Amino acid sequence: MVQRKPIILCVDDEANPLLLRKLVLEKLGFIVVTAASAAEALKIFNSIKIDLILSDQLMPGVTGTQLARQVKALCPGFPVVIVSGVNQAPADCEDADLFISKLEGPAAVSEKIYSLLGITPGQA
Amino acid sequence: MRNADKVNILMVDDQPSKLLSYEVILRELGENLIQATSGKEALEHLLRQEIAVVLMDVSMPDIDGFELAEMIRQHPRFQKTAIIFISGVHLSDVDRIKGYQRGAVDYISVPVVPELLRAKVSVFAELHRKTRQLERLNQELEFRVAERSEELRERAELLELASEAIVVRDLEGAVKFWNSGAEALYGWSREEILGRKLHDVLKTRFPAPFLEIQAALATTGTWSGNLVQTTRWGGEIVVACRKSMSPQRQAVLEINRDITAQLRAEEALRRSEKLAAMGRVAGIVAHEINNPLEAITNTFYLLRDHPSLNDEARTLARMGEQELARVCHITRQTLSFYRESQHPMPVSITDLLDDVLDLQSRSLELNAIQLEKHYRSDAKVEGFPVELKQVFLNLIANAVQAMPTGGRLRVKVCASRANGRPPGALVSITDNGVGIPPHLVKHLFEPFFTTKSTKGTGLGLWISKGIIQKYEGSLRCRSVAVSGGKATCFSVFIPGAAEPTSARRKMTPLPEVPELATVARRSVGSA
Repeated sequence: MVQRKPIILCVDDEANPLLLRKLVLEKLGFIVVTAASAAEALKIFNSIKIDLILSDQLMPGVTGTQLARQVKALCPGFPVVIVSGVNQAPADCEDADLFISKLEGPAAVSEKIYSLLGITPGQA
Repeated sequence: MRNADKVNILMVDDQPSKLLSYEVILRELGENLIQATSGKEALEHLLRQEIAVVLMDVSMPDIDGFELAEMIRQHPRFQKTAIIFISGVHLSDVDRIKGYQRGAVDYISVPVVPELLRAKVSVFAELHRKTRQLERLNQELEFRVAERSEELRERAELLELASEAIVVRDLEGAVKFWNSGAEALYGWSREEILGRKLHDVLKTRFPAPFLEIQAALATTGTWSGNLVQTTRWGGEIVVACRKSMSPQRQAVLEINRDITAQLRAEEALRRSEKLAAMGRVAGIVAHEINNPLEAITNTFYLLRDHPSLNDEARTLARMGEQELARVCHITRQTLSFYRESQHPMPVSITDLLDDVLDLQSRSLELNAIQLEKHYRSDAKVEGFPVELKQVFLNLIANAVQAMPTGGRLRVKVCASRANGRPPGALVSITDNGVGIPPHLVKHLFEPFFTTKSTKGTGLGLWISKGIIQKYEGSLRCRSVAVSGGKATCFSVFIPGAAEPTSARRKMTPLPEVPELATVARRSVGSA
């Protein structure tokens, strides 16, 4: 049981969407750290304790699902959520725990993250 | 003279000296000279080889000239052999007539004038040679005729073997020839159709005015184009037709190839290419639109309760957010996620319908629509849940939209074994909403047909039908006036419910086709 606010590592190569997503998640009750690439995300993942990774799928270099695979290799069972604007789920989307459309809206996204973490917003 | 062209001249005399003198006279003709000293010897030569001219003495011991001539003539082979008599004594006219009756063709009297003998023999030798050549030519000709007849017979057999319909008609249109390909294609036997008007029987529809076709036939001798014709069984077929005018301009040959299946396959290919192209466009649009949409949605989310906003600004932000929600909704509906397994799986139609009805429960409530569920079969089929869900979501959302002032929605599922169809699941979705006028029903499944003006994409039912056809099923609509209103029923038949593992194995999901347009056309009233 997480007693404090959950810490989310938010990954996106585009600065504006990343900042906005961070602000929304903070408003929804999460603590958010950000990374602009999968490489940076892995560095953070190895240095501080976080509860979940929320990554964009299409990024230059390593994609969201590739990042998920690397994280799972380091720490099996660690929750990774992919958000994407494209229609088709990538073939390797099995590496992620969840694949969420960017259009689902803040409320649905937070609900799904809380449910994946096994907590309700009130408990945080 | 070549040896082969030489003819044989048989000289018959009991006196060797006379034979010698004839030989001297005739040598310069260059023919083969054969000597015989008796009638018996002469006959032996005649039987052994072909003789052109027989030169014989009338008076010989044993068999005389007249007797020999008679024997020669009796044999069919020698009836045309020229016989020249040489007579040592003066011949009376009676003798001459006797000779002619026995088959002589000429007489030479002694003393023999060498030039005269040579000239006469030469004429008959030449005559024989020509006759022989003529016979040879004749034989050759007969052989060629036989060969040609064989060729024609073979061609006629090939015409029969051809899978194309080969028809000859006269200029008035009456059928003169009808091969078995035509029998197979049109169903009319040769006996039934010979003499009847071809294009009347086949109810031919021409791609151009008939006069133009006739004019083309008259000037160039040929015409080709696609014809729509009706078979004996009443089915319409499309044939690629080549017409040619006969050289004597008395008849028209038509060779027709059935291209109905080919055209259908091409149409299906065009349709699937169109779908794939739309899928690609949707993918690109989705990526470029969805990313900024998320950012804007998040912006408004942060903005709406922002403490710095006064009431007016907050109202404006709310309005912006609401409009944005509409954009997101339509984008999600039309370009939304397509997450689908590569292999068909068992799908429970009733579970699927329950999911869809759950999604629609709020709409049903808001529109005061009463739901009646009749599940008489759990109807499992092999397939892809997402696309099947898309079909039912589309049909149910349409039904809901057709009842803006409330009504009844009936969803019925049963196992179907009717009408010689394979077993399968039959789902019907019936509403008592605004109805669809009969003249619009037939356009419902055409792409970009919508009755909802700007709100519908006009693709929902078209895509749904495409999905159901992929399952070799059917999607039909009936809209009728009933007491106190209208009833509109969409029925979906999906085969394979009884044997979930058979037949569906070859199926793959539609490539790159997103869930285009679950927001659909229809519901005339809201248009």
